Amino acid sequence: MFAGLSSIDIVFISLLYCAVTVGVYVGLTHLQYKLGSLWCNPMMWSVVLLSALFIMTGVEYANYQAATQSLTWLIEPAVVAFGLPLYQQISEIKFHWKKILLLLLIANTVVIVVSLILVMLFLGLTDIAISVSLKSITTAIAITLTQQLNGAISITAFAVILAGLLGAFIGIPWLNFIKVTSPRAQGLAIGAASHALGTATISQISQQHGAFASIALIVSATITAIIAPVLITYCLSFF
Amino acid sequence: MVIINPNTHKGKNKTQHGKHESAQQVKNNIVTRKAPATEHSQMNPLYGFFAIAIALALGHALHILWSGLPASLYGMITLTLLLQFRVFSAAKVSAAITWLLRHIGVCFVPAGVGIIEHLALIQQYGLLLVGVIFFTTFLLLTLVGLSFQKLENIENSPLKRTQ
Repeated sequence: MFAGLSSIDIVFISLLYCAVTVGVYVGLTHLQYKLGSLWCNPMMWSVVLLSALFIMTGVEYANYQAATQSLTWLIEPAVVAFGLPLYQQISEIKFHWKKILLLLLIANTVVIVVSLILVMLFLGLTDIAISVSLKSITTAIAITLTQQLNGAISITAFAVILAGLLGAFIGIPWLNFIKVTSPRAQGLAIGAASHALGTATISQISQQHGAFASIALIVSATITAIIAPVLITYCLSFF
Repeated sequence: MVIINPNTHKGKNKTQHGKHESAQQVKNNIVTRKAPATEHSQMNPLYGFFAIAIALALGHALHILWSGLPASLYGMITLTLLLQFRVFSAAKVSAAITWLLRHIGVCFVPAGVGIIEHLALIQQYGLLLVGVIFFTTFLLLTLVGLSFQKLENIENSPLKRTQ
């Protein structure tokens, strides 16, 4: 990949690319803080800006990917870190755990299968189908599962953000429209469909919304991590 | 994760913080009877990173033994159990972990930039993919929302109470 370069050059290039990535991200985080809009998602716009930059300057993605390995490695500890919110929700789940577990298991199974079938019917591309079917869970876990199942990581990243923004903006009006008005039901639905982005948005409405959304976020991610490998492999065997 | 509207984030932090404080107060009451926890150990972020490292190492060991889930997910479940059984203190790890989860978005940027290898696909099928994502997100919202609302309605209905 870096043929003909000395090891010092490789270290320098890695540092440069990592610095550019972190710099752009931090800059956009400050911009979002000033503008206060959910659409200014720093991760999404960092990807858009850097992609445009690399296409214009002709940087090959393989080089960038190799140089930023150290950032990608941090996804592993980030997934482990979700053990804390899971632990914090255990006491909440105690009272409703049968209902919540069963409901999220069924709903996630249905949605994974439907997404997989739709993409396979329209596009017929296995890796894209895997990515789209994992969109409802939080990015760290979605990307880990995509790697495990040989999906397209970048498509997963975009699909996850899109699902998050959708639930964050239109989730509550839609739920009110279909007469789902209880704070618990609304929180659970938005946490399941729109993970951290949705959870952050509806935590503003009430604490109960926030608590149930974070339960759904973490339970959905755990359930999906356990069922997706088996479910997706089984469904793909039909195509 | 991540990447959130700073205003909403503040709101989230407030609720989490509130909950965390009350948990910590309860904990402190228990702890102070035995030995007062020092301010330093409460704040040290290394404690949190150490807990993650231990959980991740155990996760990798589990992954070698039984490769059903990715090592990091075994690590997540291990961390939950370690906190549950009080091997690590949740109050002490929370500072480091909250920080990590808030800023983790930057780690997905390299993965996301991989989109430049799929430009042809996006041009051809982008709208279709967005359509599928919209439809299935609404499906999930509706399924979970409606069923939980139904369950709550059944529980609260006067019919059930008289039966």
